[in-house]
Amino acid sequence: MTLLLASSLLSPHAGLIFWTLIVFGLLLFVLGKYAWKPMVSALDEREKTIEESLTRAESALEEASRMQEDNEAARRDAERQAQSILRDARDASDQLRSEEVEKTKAQLAHLQEQARADIEREKTQALVALRAEVADLAIGAAGKILDENLDDARQRKLVDAFLDDLPQK
Amino acid sequence: MRTLPAFLLSLFAFAFLAGAVAAQEHDETEEAAAHGEELDALHHSADGFFLDFEPIGKVELPRMFVVRNEEGGLGFEFFLSTSAAVASGEYVADAGGHGEETEAHPVDDDAPSEAASRGGDDALADPLETGIVPAHGEIVADLSFTRHTIFMLLAALLLLVVFLPLGAKYRKGIGRTSAPRGRLQNAMEATVIYVREEIAKPTLGDNYAKYMPYLLTAFFFILFGNLLGLFPYGAAMTSNIAVTAVLAGFTFVITQFAGTKDYWGHIFNPPGVPLLVKPIMIPIEIMGLFTKPFALAIRLFANMTAGHLVILSLLGLIFAFNSIFGPAVGWGTSVAAVPMTLFVYFLELLIAFIQAYVFTILSGLFIGMAAAKHEHHSHDDHHDQTAHEKAVQASAPLVAGSKGNVYHEEQKTVGTEAAMAFSTS
Repeated sequence: MTLLLASSLLSPHAGLIFWTLIVFGLLLFVLGKYAWKPMVSALDEREKTIEESLTRAESALEEASRMQEDNEAARRDAERQAQSILRDARDASDQLRSEEVEKTKAQLAHLQEQARADIEREKTQALVALRAEVADLAIGAAGKILDENLDDARQRKLVDAFLDDLPQK
Repeated sequence: MRTLPAFLLSLFAFAFLAGAVAAQEHDETEEAAAHGEELDALHHSADGFFLDFEPIGKVELPRMFVVRNEEGGLGFEFFLSTSAAVASGEYVADAGGHGEETEAHPVDDDAPSEAASRGGDDALADPLETGIVPAHGEIVADLSFTRHTIFMLLAALLLLVVFLPLGAKYRKGIGRTSAPRGRLQNAMEATVIYVREEIAKPTLGDNYAKYMPYLLTAFFFILFGNLLGLFPYGAAMTSNIAVTAVLAGFTFVITQFAGTKDYWGHIFNPPGVPLLVKPIMIPIEIMGLFTKPFALAIRLFANMTAGHLVILSLLGLIFAFNSIFGPAVGWGTSVAAVPMTLFVYFLELLIAFIQAYVFTILSGLFIGMAAAKHEHHSHDDHHDQTAHEKAVQASAPLVAGSKGNVYHEEQKTVGTEAAMAFSTS
C-alpha cells in the first residue's frame, strides 16, 4: 500500500501537467502584460525621478554653497580694501602732521634766528649810538670840569684813550 | 494590536491541526479496519480527485478524459464527479492498480452493474482511491481536475486578484509619480523590489529586465502555492512533481532561448579542455543541461512534500502510541507532538518563502549563465575570469547563504552549476 501511494506521489498526473502549462502560461502572459510591466516600469521611473531630484538638489546645494563662498570672498575682499584705505589714510594723516610739525619747527627756528639777528643788530646799533652819546657826554662833562684847561683836540684824544681802555662790552 | 496576526496564525494552525486530527481519526476508523493501518501520511500528501473536508465530507472534482473508443476514434468525455463517471456506466473502479495505469483492462460486460453493487464496506473499491478505468476503449489523456489543480487555480486566481489591481494602480500613476498607497501595495512593491534587487540583478546582470516577468510570476506563483498548503484543508500544489516539473520546464526552455553562442560552445566544445577529454566532457555538459531543471523540480517538490509529511508524521505519533499503549500514552504523546507540529508548521511558513526564493534565484542563475557573454579564455594556468564565472560567484553566496553552505572557489569545475543546484536542495 505504501509503495503504491509513494508511486502515486512521484508519478506526474498528465492532466495536472496540462493544466499547469496552461495556467502558468496564461499567468505569465496576463501578469506580465497587466501587472509586472506597469509595476516594474513605474518603479524604474520613480527611481529615476528620485535620483534626478537628488542630483538636482545636490547641484542646487553646491550652487548655493558656491554662491555663499563667492559672497564671503567678496566680503573679505571689501573688508581688506577698507582696511587698506583706512591704513593709507592714517599714514597720510600721520605724515601730514609730522610734516606740519617740521615745517612749524623750521619756521619757528627761522623766526627765532631772525629775531636774534634783529636783536644783535639793534644791540650793535645801540652800542654805537651809546658810544657816541657817551663820548659826547664825557666830552661835555669833561669840558665843563676842565673848561679852559684843555683845548678841544687834546680833550678828544683823552676821551678816546679812555674809551679804548673801557671794556668792549 | 500586534498580537492579533500572531493570534490569527495560531488559530489557523490549530484549525489545521484539528482538521488533520479529525481526518486521521476518520481514516483510523475506516482504513484501520480495511488495511490494518494506523495512518498514512503519504496518502494525505498525495493528489486526489476530490477536496477533502473531513469530517464534513469530500467534494468530488469533475473528470475529463480524452478517450480512444473501441472503433479507434478520439473523443472527449466530461463528468461532474468520479461518482458520476462510475454511475454513468462508462467507467469502473480500477481494481488492478492505481489510477495512472492506462492499460486497457479486460472488462466484463456486466462491470457497471458490478461496480454499482459494490458496497461502502469494501474500501478497495472506492473509485476515488483506486482510480477509474473506462469500461470500453482506453484513456488517451486524463485531464481531470485534481486537488492540486484546484489549489493551483486558486493560487493563480489570488495572483490575478492581488496583482491586476496593483498593475492598474501603477498604470494610473499611484506609485509611479507618487508614493505607493496602502499596505498591500507597499508590501508587494517591497517584494517585487526584493526580487529585482536580490534575485534578478545579481544573477542576470544588465539584461535582467527581460526576465523579470518570468521571475516575478514564478516567485509569486510558487509562494502563493506554498502558502495555500498551510491553510486548513489546503494543499500545496508545489508538493506535486507534475507542477514543479512544468515550472522547471519553463526555466529550461527560457534558459535554452537565452543561450548565447558561448553557452552552446561551452557545451559542445568546452574551452580549455584537452582534446582527448572532450568526448567525456560533452556528454557530461549535455547531462548538465537537464540536471539543472531536474534538480529545480525535485527540490521544490521534495521540500514542500517533506514538510507536510513531517507534520502528518508527528501527529501520527499520537495515534500510533494511542493504539499501541493506550489512550493515556496517546494523550501524553500529544503534549510533545502538538508543540513540535506547531514548530514545524512555522518552519513550513519559512520554507514557503525560502523555496520560492531558491527556485527563482536558481532559475535566474541558470538563465544568467546561459545569457552571459563570455570573454575568451586565456591559457594561463590561472585563466581569466569569464562573465560566466563572475555570475556564478556573484550569486553563489546568495544561494549558499540560504543553507549556510560555503561555496569554494576551487570547486569551479565544469559541473559547478549542477553541483550548486544540488547543494542547495
